[in-house]
Amino acid sequence: MLRRFCLLALLLAPAARAADPFVDVTEKTNQKVLKVFGAGGFRGATNYSTGTLISADGHFLTVASQTLDTSELIVHLADGRRMKAVVLVTEPELDAALCQIKVDGKKPGEPTGLNLKDYFDIEAEAKRPHAEPGDWVLAFSNLFEIAMRNEPVSVMQGTVMSYSKLHGRRGIFDFPYTGDVYVVDAITNGPGAGGGPLTNRKGELLGFIGREIKNSLSETWINYAIPTDATVTLRDGDKTETVSLPEFVRLGMQGKYKPRIRPVAASGPGGYTGIKFVPNVLDRTPPYIDEIMPGSPAEKGGLLVNDLVSFIDGEPIYSIKSYHEYMKRTRADMTVRLEVRRGDNLQSVELKLGEWPKGMLKPTVTLPPEKK
Amino acid sequence: MLRSLIFSVVALGLVAVPAAPADDVNDATEKAMKQAAKSVAPYVVKIETAGGRETVGGGGGGGGPGGGPPPIRKGVGPTSGLVVDKDGYIITSTFNFANKPSDIFVTVPGKDRKVAKVVATDTSRMLTLLKADYTDLPVPPAFPKADVTVGQWSLAVGRALDTELSAAPGYSRGVISAVGRIWGKAVQTDAKVSPINYGGPLTAIDGRVIGVLVPASPSGEGETAGVEWYDSGIGFAIPFEDVLKVVPRLKGGKDVGRGMLGFNPKEPGEEYNVPITIGSIASDSAALKIGLKAGDVIVRIDGKPIPHYSALRHTLGPKYEGDSIDLVVTRDGKELKFDKVVLGSANTAFAQPFFGILPVRDDPELGVEIRYVYPKSPAEAAGLKVGDRVMKVAPVGVPQLVAITGGRTQLAQIVRGFPVGVDLQVLVRRKKEKPDDKDKDETVKLKVGALTEELPEKLPMPSTAGKALEKPKAAPAPGGPPKPPAGRNKPVEEEKADEPKKEKDKDEEKDDTPTGLLTDQVNKTNAREYWMYVPDNYDKNKSYGVVVWLHAAGKGGRDAKDMKKIWEDYCDSANFILIGPKSKKNEWTSTEAEEVAATINAALKPYTIDRNRVLAHGMGIGGQMGLYMAFHSRDLIRGAAVSGAALPGPAKDNLPNQPLAFFLIAGDKDPLLKEIQDTVEKVKAKKFPAIYRQLKDFGKEYIDQKTLDELCVWLDSLDRI
Repeated sequence: MLRRFCLLALLLAPAARAADPFVDVTEKTNQKVLKVFGAGGFRGATNYSTGTLISADGHFLTVASQTLDTSELIVHLADGRRMKAVVLVTEPELDAALCQIKVDGKKPGEPTGLNLKDYFDIEAEAKRPHAEPGDWVLAFSNLFEIAMRNEPVSVMQGTVMSYSKLHGRRGIFDFPYTGDVYVVDAITNGPGAGGGPLTNRKGELLGFIGREIKNSLSETWINYAIPTDATVTLRDGDKTETVSLPEFVRLGMQGKYKPRIRPVAASGPGGYTGIKFVPNVLDRTPPYIDEIMPGSPAEKGGLLVNDLVSFIDGEPIYSIKSYHEYMKRTRADMTVRLEVRRGDNLQSVELKLGEWPKGMLKPTVTLPPEKK
Repeated sequence: MLRSLIFSVVALGLVAVPAAPADDVNDATEKAMKQAAKSVAPYVVKIETAGGRETVGGGGGGGGPGGGPPPIRKGVGPTSGLVVDKDGYIITSTFNFANKPSDIFVTVPGKDRKVAKVVATDTSRMLTLLKADYTDLPVPPAFPKADVTVGQWSLAVGRALDTELSAAPGYSRGVISAVGRIWGKAVQTDAKVSPINYGGPLTAIDGRVIGVLVPASPSGEGETAGVEWYDSGIGFAIPFEDVLKVVPRLKGGKDVGRGMLGFNPKEPGEEYNVPITIGSIASDSAALKIGLKAGDVIVRIDGKPIPHYSALRHTLGPKYEGDSIDLVVTRDGKELKFDKVVLGSANTAFAQPFFGILPVRDDPELGVEIRYVYPKSPAEAAGLKVGDRVMKVAPVGVPQLVAITGGRTQLAQIVRGFPVGVDLQVLVRRKKEKPDDKDKDETVKLKVGALTEELPEKLPMPSTAGKALEKPKAAPAPGGPPKPPAGRNKPVEEEKADEPKKEKDKDEEKDDTPTGLLTDQVNKTNAREYWMYVPDNYDKNKSYGVVVWLHAAGKGGRDAKDMKKIWEDYCDSANFILIGPKSKKNEWTSTEAEEVAATINAALKPYTIDRNRVLAHGMGIGGQMGLYMAFHSRDLIRGAAVSGAALPGPAKDNLPNQPLAFFLIAGDKDPLLKEIQDTVEKVKAKKFPAIYRQLKDFGKEYIDQKTLDELCVWLDSLDRI
C-alpha cells in the first residue's frame, strides 16, 4: 500500500508541476521594464533604449547613451501608458543614467504619485551574492524596438560565461566602464537593449544590459551586463573615491549626486626601468630588450639584452606599445613584477621603479592610425 | 503500526523532496552543466601570445572586394586550448595564431605559465598542436563520435574570459545541431562559438569532450574561414576522437593536410546532378599515379556509391594525405577497381600543360603557325621553330593523329587535355626556305611541360595573319593525299572554330564599331557606366586583346584620359582595346563583379576580340577588384595585372579550361607589401603562372615604364600554348 502510494507520488509529483518555470518570472519582470524613446535615429545612432524601474515613484536606470540627449524623453510603461521622463543624473564611468518618469503638474523633486507596484529595490538586490559562470539567466530588453506601449519586451535566455573585467571598445575609443561585468551567451548586443535588466532564473536582478561594444581583447561583439553592485573609482581633482551603483542611485534620487570634473588622464611615461627596446616598427612589435641602461632598475634586477618582456604583474604585454601603456600607470618607487622570456623559459624579476633621469628621451606613445 | 506510519511519512518526505524543486525543472540541468564544466576545467588551457599582426585574413586595407571574408582585427586577448597528451601537448584552433604571433605562452590550470612552441598544424581541420614543458598532464575523456546525437546538450567551454584558472571555466550552452558537417569533419552546435572559446572543448553534459571548437566554413579554407559566423548559433567542433587520432601524426612535426585524388571534374559547377567524369589530372597526383584518365567516371569509394561531386567531397573530406581508399571507376563502360589508393596532398595543384609556343593569330589556314618558341620549353627541345606549322597531334602510340582544323583555339584545347609529362607525337610542316620549295612534313616527339612564368624579352611581329573573319579551312579527308587547303564553303566544326566571328552583318559594321576614346558610355541593361578606347586603326580582321581598367577609389570615369595617354600607343601597335567600367560607389564591391562582366561583354560584342587575352588591371582597391574578378568571372578574365592589391583568402583552384595568369606589382614602401608577397605565394601554390615585380621606392603610385613595357609583352603572350 505504502509502496504503491509512493509510486503514485513519484508519478504525480513531476506531472502536476511541469509548468514552464520561466513563465511567472518573465511576466513579473516585464512589469518592471520600460521602453525608452529619445534622440538619435540618424547616422546609425538608435533613438531608443530600455529602462529598468527601481522605485515606486518612477525612477529608472538606463545606459548613459546619446538616446538621452533630448528634452523630449518618452517612456512606454508595461501597462501601455506613454509618459514623459527626465534624466536626473548620469555617471559615464558606470555607464548609468538615473531617470524619472514625469507626471504633468508635478514639480521636479515632488512625489509623482505613480505608486508603481513592480520595481527592483536596487539596494537589496545589490546585496545578493554574484551569479557565477554557468548560471542560467534571462535578459529583458526592447532590442530592435520590437515592442511599443503595452507589448511585452523581449526576453532571451542564456548562460553566464564569466564575471570578469570589461575590456570594451567603441570604434577606436576605449569604453569608459572598466569594472567587472557579467558576460552572457544571450545575444544582447544589438540596438536598444542597453539598460534592460539581466536576472537569474528566479527573477532576481543581476545587472543591467550593456551597449553595442566590442571586446578589445577578442575583437568580437560582447554581450554583457553591468552588475547591480558595480563600483568605480572616480577622481575628483586630487582625491579618489569609490562609488557603487546603489550609492549613485541613492544620492541621485536625493538630488545629491555630483558628477565629477574629469581631469585629462595623466600622460607621463610612468616609472623608470632603464629598458630600451628594439625599434618599434610593426603594429605589434614584440618587446625585446635591445639595451639596458647602466645602473638602472632593469640592470639591478638582472634583466638581459634579448629578454622578451611578456607579462607585468601578471598582465600580458603583447607589444612595445602595450608595455608603454602599462607603464604609464606606474610611478617611481613602485615595485613591478616582470616575467620575461629568456630562451625557452620564463624568468620572473621584480623591479623597483626609479625616476626618469634628467635629459633622457621619454617614450611617446603614439597610436597607429586605426583601421576600420 | 506507528513505526510504519512514521516510516511512511519519512518515506513520503523523501519522495516529496525531489518533487518539490520540480517547480523549477531546470535546477538539475543547470547543476549538471556546471558540474560538466568543472570536470573539464583541469584540461582547458589558457593561451597567450605576443607580437603578430593587427588584422588577419584580408588584404589588410579597408575591406573591399575579396575572394574570402573581409580582413578582421585579430584580438590580442587570451584564447583556449585542450590537453591531448600528458607530456605537454596541447591542441588548439589554428585561428588563434592567424596573426602569426612571435611568442606563445600557455598555462595549464594549477601549473606555471610556460613558453609553448607550435609543433605542427592540421590544415584540413585547422588545428594546431603546441608543446610546452609539462609532464604528467591529465587528458580528458572523449565522448564517442558515433554516439553524438543531434539535440543533446553541448557546452562550448573557453578560457579567454577567465582570470582565475582555478575556477570552473565559463561556457555557452546549446545543443548539437548536426553531425558530419564541413564535409564530414565537424559537429555543429548552437552554443555561441567565437574567439572567446576557439580551441576549447565542446563538452557533453556528462563532462566528456565531444570536440574541439574551431571556426569553419563549408565553402572556405584557411585559418579565418568561418569566423564571420561567430556567436551566430552556427558553431563547429572537430570530434575529439578524430583529434586524438591525428595528434600522433602532428607530433612528428610535419603539417598534415587534406587527402586528394588530384583531378578536376569535367563539369566543375555540377555539385549534385551528374556523376563525376574526370576532366583533367594534376601532375604528381594520386590519380596520375594509379593511371586514371580523363573521361573516367567515379563510381564508388570505400564501398560507398559516389553519385555526384558533393558525395565525393563528403567521402574524401575527412581524409588526410597518406590515407588510402578503395576506388572504383568506369572506363569505356567497364568497371576498374583500384584498391588502397594512397591519397596525395592538396599541394599537387593542377598545372597548365605547356608546349612553349606562341601561335600566329587570325589565321584560317590548316594547322597553327608558330610565332615564337619559348626558350628551354618542350617545343624548343622538340626542335620546333618560328614559322613551322603544327598540323597534327596525338600521344605516342596512338595510330591516328588529330588534325588541327580549328586553329590555335583547338590546339590549346587539345593540349590542356593532356597531363603534364605525357609524350606526344607532333606532325610539323616546316617553313619553306624558298617560295617554290615543297611542304616538308616531319613528326617530332614532344614531352608536355608545365606552364611556368617566363617572360620573353621581345616578341616577333606581326602577331596576326589578319584574316580573323575568314572561316578556318577544313582538313583533308583522313587517309587521302595532302591536298591544297580547301575552299571556305566547306563545312567546319562549329565548336572548334578559331577566332570569334563577327556576330553582326557586315553592313552595320561602320556604325557599330566606333573608335577613339569613347566616354560616358552606358550599358542599356544594367545602367552601368563605362568608357572605352578603341584604336583608330581598328581592323575587324585582327583580333584584339582587352585591358579592363578597374579604377582606384573615387576615380571612376575621371581617369579615362590619363589611362588612354599611357596605353594608346600600345593599343594601336599591339591591337588592344581599353575599357574602364565605373563602380557605382566610391569603391568597388564584390557584388558588382557580375554586372561589370556583363557590361564588358556587351560593349565588346561588336568588335573582334581575342578571348584568350582579356585582362583585369587595376591598382589599390581597383586591383583588389581585379583579383576578385579574375577568380569570379572566370569565363571572361584570363589574367590579372594588379598593383598594390592582395588576395584576402587562399587562391582558388587552377582550372584547365579557364586558365588564369597573374602579374603582381608592389611598391616596396606599400604598407601592403607583406600581404602582396603572400599573394604571390598563394597563387604560385595553386600553380598559376605569376610574375612579381617589386618597385623600389614606390608606395601607391602607378607602375614605372620598365614594368609597363614588361606588362605589354606579357599581355601579348597570354595566348601561349
